[in-house]
Amino acid sequence: MPSASLVLQSVVLGVLLGGLYALLAAGLTLYFGVMRVVMIAHSAFLILAAYLAWYAHRETGVDPLLTLFVTVPLFFAAGVAMQRLLLTRLRPATLTMMSVLLTFSVALVIEGLLGYAFSGTQRRIRLGYSAAGFEFLGARVAVVKLIAFGLAALALLGLYVLMKRSRFGQALRATIQHREAAQLLGIDTDRIAGYGFGLGLATAAVGGTALALDTTIYPSLHWHWIGPLMAIIVVGGLGSVPGAAIAAMTLGMLQSLLQLELSTTWAQTVFYIALFATLAVRPQGFFGGRLAQRF
Amino acid sequence: MRRGSDTRLIHLGALLAAAAIALSFPSMAPSPYEITVGIAILNYAVLSTSWNFVGGFTGYISLGHGAFAGLGAYGTGLLVARAGLPPFAALFTAAALVALIAVPVGYAALRVRGASFVIVSIALVLILLLVFQSWASFTGGSRGLVVPRPFPGMLRAEHHRTFYFLFLALLAVTLSAWWVIDRSRFGMGLKAIREDEDKAQSLGIPTYSYKLVVFVVSAAFTALAGGLYALWFGDLDPVFQFSVLGGAYMVLMALLGGVRHLYGPLLGAVAVGYALEYAKVEYGDTPLHLVVAGLLLGVVVMFMPDGVIPAATALIGRFRRSGETSIREVTAAELRERREQPNRTEVKDGERSGT
Repeated sequence: MPSASLVLQSVVLGVLLGGLYALLAAGLTLYFGVMRVVMIAHSAFLILAAYLAWYAHRETGVDPLLTLFVTVPLFFAAGVAMQRLLLTRLRPATLTMMSVLLTFSVALVIEGLLGYAFSGTQRRIRLGYSAAGFEFLGARVAVVKLIAFGLAALALLGLYVLMKRSRFGQALRATIQHREAAQLLGIDTDRIAGYGFGLGLATAAVGGTALALDTTIYPSLHWHWIGPLMAIIVVGGLGSVPGAAIAAMTLGMLQSLLQLELSTTWAQTVFYIALFATLAVRPQGFFGGRLAQRF
Repeated sequence: MRRGSDTRLIHLGALLAAAAIALSFPSMAPSPYEITVGIAILNYAVLSTSWNFVGGFTGYISLGHGAFAGLGAYGTGLLVARAGLPPFAALFTAAALVALIAVPVGYAALRVRGASFVIVSIALVLILLLVFQSWASFTGGSRGLVVPRPFPGMLRAEHHRTFYFLFLALLAVTLSAWWVIDRSRFGMGLKAIREDEDKAQSLGIPTYSYKLVVFVVSAAFTALAGGLYALWFGDLDPVFQFSVLGGAYMVLMALLGGVRHLYGPLLGAVAVGYALEYAKVEYGDTPLHLVVAGLLLGVVVMFMPDGVIPAATALIGRFRRSGETSIREVTAAELRERREQPNRTEVKDGERSGT
C-alpha cells in the first residue's frame, strides 16, 4: 500500500492531467454536437500546436505561451475552413462514417508532414522554470504542470461563459440541440456550425501549448491521445460538454492513481476498460441526453 | 432479360482470365521478389475483402480491423511457438479464438449506431498495442515474436511459391463467402441495414444479431489472413501488427475499388498494394507515405465514395445504354439527393450492386 503522501501526489497529478483531458474532450464534444462528426484529427492538431510552440521557442526563444496568440486564431480559422470546405461536402446520409475517414486522413497528413519537417526525434522544450516546483500538503507540484492546468481551466471557463452567456453561445447550443428548429428561429446554422468547429479546434491549440510545456513530443504521439479522448466522450455521453468534463476528471484521476500500482502503459488501459464497460452497461454514456441515444 | 446470359458469359470469361493470370504468376515472375510482392497484394486483398463483410454489407466503417489481423497473427504465432501446435491447426484455432473475442467486442460496439462503433474499433487497436507491448514475457514485446517456419525443409523461393498459392486459396474462399452472403436473404437484410436501419428493423429484420454475426465472420476471415501472414513472414512486431494505419489501408482499398462490389476490395488492393510495395522500394520508409495515404483516402472519401467500379460502369453504361431494367437498386443517399432536386429524373445505372 503506497504511503498517503504518494496517494496525494497522484491525486494532484490526476487533477492536473484531468483538466487538460477535459478541455480537449470538450473540443471533441463540440464537433460532435454541431456536425455529428467524430474528429479523429483533434489530437493530431493538438500535437501540431505543441510542435509550433516548440519550434517558435527553438527559433526565437520566446515563451511557448506566447504562441497562443498565433495558434488559437490560426486553428480557429483552420477549423472553420475544414468544416466549410471539407465536411459540408460529404453526403448527409453517410456523414458520420465518412467524416471519420476524412478526419483520419487529415490526421495522417499532419503526422506525416510533422515527421517530414521535424523528423521522428523526440522533442522537449527547456524553460527557465521547467524544473521549478513547490510543496503542496506534502505533494510536489511542478510549476509547468500547474500552468498547463491553469491554461486548460481558463479556456474551459471561457468556453463555458461563451456557451452560456453570449448570443452566439445560445445560437450554438440551439444548433446542437435541434438544427431545423434553430433554422426556423433565424439562426444561420451553417455559419454557426463552422464557428463551433473552429472553437473545437481552438481548444486543441490551447491544449497543445499546455502539452508542450512539460511533455516530450513526437509526431505519432497523437495516437496516445485520441484513444483516451474518444473513450472520455463516450463515457460522458456523446454531445454532452459537462459529461465530458466529469468523465475526463474521473478517468484522469483513476489513471494517475493506477500508476502507483501498475506501469504507465497498463494504467492507460483504464480508459478502454471504461469505454467497453460504458457501452455494455449504458451505451448512451453516463451524462448523455437525447443526442447520444442514436449515435 | 435478353442480355443476361451474355453478361454472365463475359463475367465468367473475365473471372477465368483473372484466375489464369493469378495461377500462372509465380512461374512467370522473374525473381522470388516479385512473388513476395504478389503475396503482399494477395494478403491485402484478403484483408480488405474480409473488412468488406462489415463495411460493404452494413455500411459500418471499422478502422480497427488491424486488431483482428494482429490477433490472428499473434494467436497463430503463440500457439505454434509456445503451445507447440502444428502450424495449420494453430492457424484455424487462432481464427476460432479471434471469432470468439469478436463476440463481446461486437456486442459493445454494435449496441449504438455509427460513431461509437468507429470509436470502439480504433480503441481496440490501441488497447491491443498497449497490451502486446507491455506483456513482453508472453508476447515477446517490442523485441518481436519469431514464428517457426511451417515447412522447415523448404528453400526460400519454394516457401514463397507455396504461400502464394495458400493466400490465393484463402482469397478464393473469402470471395466465395462474400458472394454467397451477397445473394442470400441474410445479405439482403444486411444491405437493408446499410440503407436504413430503422426501416430494416421495422420490417422485422433482427438487425442487432445480423450485424453481430457478420462482424464475427469478418473478424474470423481477417484473423485467417493475419495468421497466414504470420506463418509466411515468421516475425511479428506489435507496432506493425496492431497499427491503425493497417486498418486504414483495408478501408482505403475497399473504398477505392467499391464496397458494394465483390471484386471492389480486390481491385483496390491490387492498386494500393502495388503502390505501397513500389514506394517501399523506391523511396524507403519516409513519413511521406503517411501523407500520400492520407491524401489518397481523403480524395476517395470526398470525390468517389462509391469507388472506381461504379464510376467505370457508369462510363461504360453511357456508351452501351444497356442495363435499363425496370427494377434497380438505389441507395438511400441517392434517393435523398433526388428528393431534394426534383427536376433531375435521369437515373445513373452505375449504382446497381452485385457483379
